[in-house]
Amino acid sequence: MSLALVVGVLVAGGTFLVLQRGMVRIAFGFVLLGHAANLVLLSAGGAARRGEPLLSIADLATAADPLPQAFVLTAIVIAFAITIYMLTLAGAGEGDDDTEDRR
Amino acid sequence: MVLPLVLSLLILVAVAAPVLDRFVGRAAGWLLAVIFLALGAVLAVEAPRIITHDEEIEFSAPWMPAIDVLFDFRLDGTGLLFVILVLGVGALIMGYSARYFSRGKHGDYYFLMALFAAAMFGLVVADDVVLLFVFWELTTVCSFFLIGRTGHSANQPAIRTLLLTVAGGLALLGAVITMIVHIGTSRLSVILADPAWQEDPAFATTAGVLVIVAAFTKSAQFPFHYWLPDAMAASTPVSAYLHAAAMVKAGIYLLMRFSPALADNVTWNVLLIGVGLLTAIMAALFALQRHDLKELLAYSTVSQLGFLVAVIGIGTPGALAAAGVHTLAHALFKATLFMLVGVIDREVGSRDIRRLTGLRRVMPITAGLAALSALSMAGVPPLLGFISKEKLFASYLEAPGPAMVGPLVGAVAVVGAILTFAYSFRIVYGAFGGPTTQTRLREPSLVFLLPAAVSSIAGLVLGFFAGWLDPLIDRVVLDTRGTPGEIHLGLWHGVAPELYMSVVTIAVGVVLFLRREFIDRLLDRRLFPVTGVQVFERCHAAAITFGARVAELTRTFSPARHLAVPFVVLTAFGMGALLTGVRVPAFPEPVTRPIDWLLMALIAGGTVGIVLTRSRLAGLALLGVIGFVISLFFFILGAPDVGLTQLLVEVLTVVVAVLVLRRLPRSFHPTGALRKSVAAGVALLAGGAAAVGTFAFTGRREISGAGEYFLQEAEEETGGTNVVNTILVDFRALDTLGELTVLGLAGVVILAVLEVNGLMGGDRSPQAARYIGTPIGSPTGNTILARTVGRWLAPLLVLLSLYLLVRGHGEPGGGFIAALVGGAGFALAYLSASSAQAAPIRWPYVGLIAGGVGVATLVGVLGFGDGGFLRPLHADIPLFGGGYYHFSTALLFDIGVYLAVIGVTVTALNRLGVEDVPPGREAGDRRSDPDGSVAAEPDEVREPDSRYETTESLPGSGGRR
Repeated sequence: MSLALVVGVLVAGGTFLVLQRGMVRIAFGFVLLGHAANLVLLSAGGAARRGEPLLSIADLATAADPLPQAFVLTAIVIAFAITIYMLTLAGAGEGDDDTEDRR
Repeated sequence: MVLPLVLSLLILVAVAAPVLDRFVGRAAGWLLAVIFLALGAVLAVEAPRIITHDEEIEFSAPWMPAIDVLFDFRLDGTGLLFVILVLGVGALIMGYSARYFSRGKHGDYYFLMALFAAAMFGLVVADDVVLLFVFWELTTVCSFFLIGRTGHSANQPAIRTLLLTVAGGLALLGAVITMIVHIGTSRLSVILADPAWQEDPAFATTAGVLVIVAAFTKSAQFPFHYWLPDAMAASTPVSAYLHAAAMVKAGIYLLMRFSPALADNVTWNVLLIGVGLLTAIMAALFALQRHDLKELLAYSTVSQLGFLVAVIGIGTPGALAAAGVHTLAHALFKATLFMLVGVIDREVGSRDIRRLTGLRRVMPITAGLAALSALSMAGVPPLLGFISKEKLFASYLEAPGPAMVGPLVGAVAVVGAILTFAYSFRIVYGAFGGPTTQTRLREPSLVFLLPAAVSSIAGLVLGFFAGWLDPLIDRVVLDTRGTPGEIHLGLWHGVAPELYMSVVTIAVGVVLFLRREFIDRLLDRRLFPVTGVQVFERCHAAAITFGARVAELTRTFSPARHLAVPFVVLTAFGMGALLTGVRVPAFPEPVTRPIDWLLMALIAGGTVGIVLTRSRLAGLALLGVIGFVISLFFFILGAPDVGLTQLLVEVLTVVVAVLVLRRLPRSFHPTGALRKSVAAGVALLAGGAAAVGTFAFTGRREISGAGEYFLQEAEEETGGTNVVNTILVDFRALDTLGELTVLGLAGVVILAVLEVNGLMGGDRSPQAARYIGTPIGSPTGNTILARTVGRWLAPLLVLLSLYLLVRGHGEPGGGFIAALVGGAGFALAYLSASSAQAAPIRWPYVGLIAGGVGVATLVGVLGFGDGGFLRPLHADIPLFGGGYYHFSTALLFDIGVYLAVIGVTVTALNRLGVEDVPPGREAGDRRSDPDGSVAAEPDEVREPDSRYETTESLPGSGGRR
């Protein structure tokens, strides 16, 4: 329930931001949407089991599913690369980061 | 074994050619010629087996076993005929190239020519249709680059040629798929022997037409004929090899190859005979109009290919024999003529017969060789061309269908042959006849003429000893018609219809030559209202216009409009799914804990804030807050590696964002109330759907089977105890490698964007002037804290990152986390430097990224040592004082990850942290900025560093606008 609500809040915030004007806000929106997607992945693994999947200390009965964690880990790094790419676009070129023709 | 051996040697030669070129220069051509001949000799050892014993050389090895595609090679008589062209003419052209080109670097030329030879060889020995298609396309690609390398003027012809031949390649792909689906195998020899060709006319005609389209594009038949003259933009050796002797014969090869399956198909007969003869006559007329010898030869090639296509369409054993002989004869005389035109071009500096005159006196050997080849082309005894033309005539008379078809086809062919005779003489007379004006010209060196002499004289010798070819041609007939040929080639066949046809051809041809001025006047007009190139260009332009029209429907420069569509559609889908009433299982255990609600509240607060704020810096700060809470959430969910990664990414994101934000206005762009409410509506719906969806569809199960497996087996299989890390670098390393490539690419793209656009200038606010003279205003003064701390912290962070890297397999850590910690170290070092110039990172970032991806890939290749790509190798290294260190190549893979991530981070820091607008961009540009904050500042402020503005624009001051 809590994860689902967090996902909802993040998706709503992210969606609002990407529909605004200016590259920086779009980039921020994507970061929030990325958080939401990552949490959905972890939630899919099951939020009931919350033990670390470290075999040196883990109790296999309660250890969390490691597979979504691996997905999320790579997803975070890719999202990072995309974020800095979008920020580069925001900082590149003339004028400011406006994404629309000024009327 | 000999077939893949020759093929791989040819590929090897291609790769080695640039190296050879570097050491011996253009003489590399001679070396390649010798190698081609040696490879030919290797095959010649096997040839008697094929020719006299009706055997084939075969080879088979798995390629894509899952779809039953094999490296199937098979050399029969037909293949051998074309191999002789590829290697024999190839050797001559290579030798010719050694003199044709001026001294200098021609590595790319020799590479492409040898690669083309390999592709062409593969094409004619492939016994798998997929393989055949791959080699077919490879010849197209080689042709494209060989035309394109000539220079700027060759760009358009190269592109036209490519588009057209690739379209034909698509037709071949269509044929390949049709055949595989219908017959159930990709093996060519099995497909051709299948009864479906006779029993299922619909299939036979469909596949046949696709094969015909492919062959017509490759062999330049109407309406695709115009690409070949276009391709004459390539250098002469390329024209001689690809566009006369070898590549354009690929279409002929394909038609001969499919002859056993399709020779009795009426569509096949009609299309090949009709289009072939039409092309033959049309192109011959064009040839008579041309003054550029090379262009003339190109149309002549189109015309001769038309004769070949038509005779294959006849489909009798005699016709296929004629096709075989004429393919060989044409390769010999046409390669010679091209080479000699190249010689004339080099020696005289022109190829225009209006400017060339009387060269026979100054270049008698060249003239003699050219005349010999032209006579062969004209079909004059005792040359090989005469024999093959007689064979063609005899075959045309056998055309299938009503009784009158044979004589009709024969008559049309005679007209084509008369025109051939006329343009052959036009070539010789145009260049060598008439008064000699340029008496100072000399014969070129004999070495330059040698290759042309070989092929020219071969045409003469084979004319007298045509019987030598009988066994080979017999075998070709057996391959293409399934019956022994009983072919006897010779100059004299007794008084037969084809002899009368030859007599008529030569007699009328002589008359046409004598009345050449009348003919020239007659043909000095446009025969057709449009040229092929014009038609192509119009279609091309129309396709692009149509694409633009379609794109117009959705084109807008506002990303919000594009982004709104998926959100609305996805939300609608989600709501639809919920409304249909999905039944979901119950949660096996409670999934929510009290602390979740605290984090949830923090995230919600941050999100509301970031949505409402108009200050960019406040937005960034709130984004950081949300990110940190999310990483806390990851820790609480039992994902320490993920949490660490998120934490570090958050730090670096903020650093990078600050570097960008300082260049931008302080507040976000204002948007209207309507837009805000629409966006809010969409956002609330999307958020609601996401929340309900997540609640309904996730987590309502026990641990996944895969997760269970990894938990159980990770230590046993990989020796690592950090299961997440073992998944990343071991179990699913291929995913990680792919991800790494994306990451590296993002870094490269960032560089590319900044290379093209540059960064906008820094935002120098007038308030900065207030601090001049104080420590805050001094770039060295205001970083004193950061520098003092950074001096020992930054190296420590880098050390820590190395430690995290090494321990990652067992404890939280690994390549990603380690690299992000290292990146944070670099960020600190960067931020504590007094100016961008003083920043201590001057690393070759592209090298780092490429090195990282390279290391990871290399480790993957090492895995082949243990049975598969990316399979880690293990070793237990004994330590001093007992015990073992468990070493796995997964660690090396992780080092690749580490390097790539560091590379991307350093790229962003360094390229976004640069101080000033790049050269070529006026600083005055900023004046047009709505911000309008450019001020004429004292000199000291001219060189402020990045921290300066950041300090200046703390949240709070952002609200001033």
